[in-house]
Amino acid sequence: MTTLPLAGSRVSGREMSQPQGPARIRGREVREVTLIVATVLTILAVGVFNHGFLSTQNLRFMLLNSVVLSLVALGQTLVIATRGIDLSVAPVMGLTAVVTGLLAQSSGLPLAGAVGITILLGLVLGTLNGLLVARLAIPPIITTLGTYSLYSGLVFVYSNGTQVDSVPASYATLGNGFVAPVIPIPIAVVVLAVALLLVWFMLNHTRFGRAILAVGNNDVAAYNAGIGVTGVKVRVYALSGLLAAIAGLMFVCYTGSATVTTGTGDHVELQSIAVALIGGTAIAGGRGNVVGSVLGSLFLSVILTALVFVHVPPIWYSAGEGLMILVTVTAGMRQSRGGNN
Amino acid sequence: MSTRNEVTARRRNLSRLPLDGWSRALLILLVLLVAGLCLSVDGFYPGFGGFLALTENFLPFGLVALGLTTVILTGGIDLSVGATAGLSAIVMAELWSGLHVSIWLAALAGLLAGGVLGAINGLIITRLRTEPLIATLATSFIYASIATALAGPSPPSGFPDSFNLVGTGTLVGPIPLQLVLFAVLALLFTLLLQYSTFGRRIVMVGYSSEAARYSGLRIDRIVLSAYVISGVMSAFAGIVLAAYYSAVRPDMGDVLLLSTITIVVLGGVSIFGGEGSIAGVVIAVLLLGFLRQGMLIAGYSDMVTTMLTGAILLGAIGIKNILSGRGTGIAALLARIRKTTSTKELGTP
Amino acid sequence: MSHAVAGPVVATGHFQAIDVTKAFGSVAVLRGVSLGLQPGRIHTMMGENGAGKSTLFKILSGLLRPSNGELRLDGAPVVLDAPHDAHLRGIYLVPQEPALMPELTVAETMFVGQLPTRPGFPRRVDWPGLRRRAQDALASLGLDIDVGQLSRHLSIAQQQQVECAKALLRGCRIILFDEPTSPLTSHEVERLFGIMRRLRDDGCTLGFISHRMDEVLEISDDISVLRDGALVDTVDRNGFDRVRLLSQMVGREMKVIPRRTTSFSTGRAMLHVEALSHAPRFHDVGFTLHEGEVLGLAGLVGAGRTEIAETIFGIRAPSAGRVSLGGADISGLAPHAVIRRGLVYVPEDRARHGAILPMTITENITSGLLDRLRQRFGLIDRQDEDRRGAAIVTQYRVRCAGIDQALRQLSGGNQQKVVFGKWMGLRPRVAILDEPTRGVDVGAKDEIYELIEELAKAGLAILVISSEMEELVRLCDRVLSIYEGRIVAELAGADVTPARVGQSYLSHDGLAA
Repeated sequence: MTTLPLAGSRVSGREMSQPQGPARIRGREVREVTLIVATVLTILAVGVFNHGFLSTQNLRFMLLNSVVLSLVALGQTLVIATRGIDLSVAPVMGLTAVVTGLLAQSSGLPLAGAVGITILLGLVLGTLNGLLVARLAIPPIITTLGTYSLYSGLVFVYSNGTQVDSVPASYATLGNGFVAPVIPIPIAVVVLAVALLLVWFMLNHTRFGRAILAVGNNDVAAYNAGIGVTGVKVRVYALSGLLAAIAGLMFVCYTGSATVTTGTGDHVELQSIAVALIGGTAIAGGRGNVVGSVLGSLFLSVILTALVFVHVPPIWYSAGEGLMILVTVTAGMRQSRGGNN
Repeated sequence: MSTRNEVTARRRNLSRLPLDGWSRALLILLVLLVAGLCLSVDGFYPGFGGFLALTENFLPFGLVALGLTTVILTGGIDLSVGATAGLSAIVMAELWSGLHVSIWLAALAGLLAGGVLGAINGLIITRLRTEPLIATLATSFIYASIATALAGPSPPSGFPDSFNLVGTGTLVGPIPLQLVLFAVLALLFTLLLQYSTFGRRIVMVGYSSEAARYSGLRIDRIVLSAYVISGVMSAFAGIVLAAYYSAVRPDMGDVLLLSTITIVVLGGVSIFGGEGSIAGVVIAVLLLGFLRQGMLIAGYSDMVTTMLTGAILLGAIGIKNILSGRGTGIAALLARIRKTTSTKELGTP
Repeated sequence: MSHAVAGPVVATGHFQAIDVTKAFGSVAVLRGVSLGLQPGRIHTMMGENGAGKSTLFKILSGLLRPSNGELRLDGAPVVLDAPHDAHLRGIYLVPQEPALMPELTVAETMFVGQLPTRPGFPRRVDWPGLRRRAQDALASLGLDIDVGQLSRHLSIAQQQQVECAKALLRGCRIILFDEPTSPLTSHEVERLFGIMRRLRDDGCTLGFISHRMDEVLEISDDISVLRDGALVDTVDRNGFDRVRLLSQMVGREMKVIPRRTTSFSTGRAMLHVEALSHAPRFHDVGFTLHEGEVLGLAGLVGAGRTEIAETIFGIRAPSAGRVSLGGADISGLAPHAVIRRGLVYVPEDRARHGAILPMTITENITSGLLDRLRQRFGLIDRQDEDRRGAAIVTQYRVRCAGIDQALRQLSGGNQQKVVFGKWMGLRPRVAILDEPTRGVDVGAKDEIYELIEELAKAGLAILVISSEMEELVRLCDRVLSIYEGRIVAELAGADVTPARVGQSYLSHDGLAA
């Protein structure tokens, strides 16, 4: 505390009346609001022409469909906030899906065991990324490009050509079931909600979370201020691995299948980056919006489903995704640049 | 103030490794690898012709790597190389089968398409000021869609034999046509990037686009042409692949992206721009290519070799960093200190 | 890191450097400097560029470690491994341009690394408390800055003010200011001095670096003069003597500053600038520069001089006005077109704008004239290139091991000569030199001055931007004074004296002072 006499110090009521919390800055919620509005408008617009789009079943489907990508994007958001990038999320997700799925399929691994394996795999693979980035100073894009190859090779070696076709009932329940027969909320959505809440709380209300943003803003200044930059980076990549692994488990539970190309085939790594950027995270680091990332992947899910409903051939889906990235990121850039002066 | 400059100078000293040294180390590794594979893997050296023919499997990667090197030297990145290769090949095939254009004319149009796609990337980056990573990520999605749409359910195949020779033919004795093409282009790129004023401009932009601007360089033009070159080379690779398989698929370029970035980085090109040589990249193409072929012949699967590729990339860059004093926590951070502070100051009004 | 912001009880603040030496490689930057900072006093370091003042402060604040010697806090030796160590011991460095966390709020940047938390589980950041304490700390310094805004919206002056409050929040009572005033306007300087006096009167130990004699004499309690990395003298308020301090800094008796020997007489008008504006940085700037003339632009940092130069050169687009070069209109042209018409610009920041340090000397020299290099089949004729490089290196007396040496291995002065050579190889008609001796060692300055004089004698029209009065006086035929983006005075002939120039740009009515 300052030892200066606080003469003349007056705490004006102005800032006390301001909303509390780090992210509550004028205009900061614009991105979330825009995404929600866009999502709702899309749903309504398509719903007018096709009432099936508004059915509870379809709405639930779209929600469920976004869970896996949302989980990956949560971790990706944290990494990008430190001015890094994690391409290896796709094979981490694939490896977890294949390992847990195969064990469940062949030797009846109980769900608790699968969760344990998921956590272990995610943390180990993620930590390796973090150590390479923080300790050996290999640029994140190169590090995770290398581990991308490494981990996708592992998937192949482990599965040895076999694939997951079905999972035990307990897994399927986790992926598709409801919280309770009377409460029609999918368990998977609850998993995502819990993950989002935890990550959001960590990023916005803990010292570690704020250290992530400080490192992304200016790692030298963060180091000078006594933040253990190396440790923060290692932990962030570990978290990204963990979330990707959880996404892998949810994927195998949801779809009941997993192959060598799970994750990598759909370019989950690129999609998660795209969704994070759409959600308002800055590629240059220092700003991370986890709520935005989840809303972004929900929006993506809605758009892709809407394209099905309005009979756009599936081949154009990825073009739509590309345009979305271009438009949102470029527009977002203009917006923040405008606010600069 | 002079102290600050000396500190800057010290950092640059550390971060720069004699390029020739790196290439030389790669070359030694390549020789050892090829010798080792020849001795230990049956069938790796079935005779000179057969040995050279192995290169047909990986030289398209080399073609993409040449273009990508140009882009990375400017400090950018092109994630759309795979999609561009696919789309260009499809354009060629559709012109040939749909409009009955001569296959050679169609191939030319394919190259042109690659150039246009590259130009779109370049324009988005220079006009909209979008980060190269994001711009080319977005366009790769879009190009892939267009390719799939153009290709339809059954993309054309069965090109004329004379065209297929581009992928599988030999020129003088046992030397594959692909190898000749690659050698010529590699030489051309060496001259272009290391001996011409254009190359000098590319390198200047890569080291410091600000300083290049104050030296009167037209940054936008230079960056744009780098992406056009990358697009054309990707298209070239797509066309060679089409000739090799005598067929096209919209996703045929997908395998190119990560491997070629690996090649370029392993070849000693700095991901931050400015540093690098074509010689290093060519050696890296051969190194990773022969390794992959050797492992495949020895009975290992494709993915195992992919894994090994990743390990080699990480090992190589890790060792390079440790040798140049950038490894381990604080040292690494200190190395980045100057970089961040020098770029940060820009933002202040 | 304790959860309370105030660290361990901090020393009363008698902070000493004992025989501190620092060398980078073989270059000694500090040689056996011993001095002490006292509580309740402002101790100023003076010296020319490269005298070692900043290095000393970096050592005192834990950014650098001394090669030899030790630091003592209240008589006890301390070792500072990192800035954070220094903070814990109550020592805080306010850099000239504070490192921003652009995307965080002002309140949060003040607490980075030491965010206060609420008790209980989970331990969460105490946002309301953080805001309140940030606001209080600023208020205690008489500052009114909205702590809820993003820090990228702060001006440099505000950033420095926030840094002062930050120091207090960390319980730091020894605060070092590394040349804070050079980017500030006179009004902002007054404000900063207000804060510094307040801190001093409260018993804090303050260190200060400045080049400006007037403000040093105004604010300091003690003055130490450094020259070539060694301490020349430390005097307290009673010993302040402007002339003596100056001669100590320069290392020789102050004599009459040598003026240019040959003055331009009636050269043709080369560069004509008319009502040029680039809102909001400068307005309605007009002047004419003649063949063989050296025209100076005087003013404080931030007065808009660099912006004027960059607008003429085409880096910035003018919002109004005209620039003509030898009669042809060049307003709004891009740099490459301006260069082709014979105008070159040597920027202030050599490392970032002026040169590409990792490239070789030759490559830097020819980087401005790539179009004019002899080419064979589209390839650079390396021999011709080397000849050009060698010619420039010889002509401008660049001291180097060879023309293939990387530019960053040269000293500041030699780097600057290479940058000069790069542009003069184009045989331009007009050259704009922005702080031509920035980062150049004292010895090499004279060489740069002689170079500029030779070029002017050969007919080049030269515009010099400088913050060093002596430099302007020595070089210029005429001096224009810029104050907050406008020309407020023009001095020529006998009027170009340090005193006149120094006064002319300090207020909007220029010469009236």
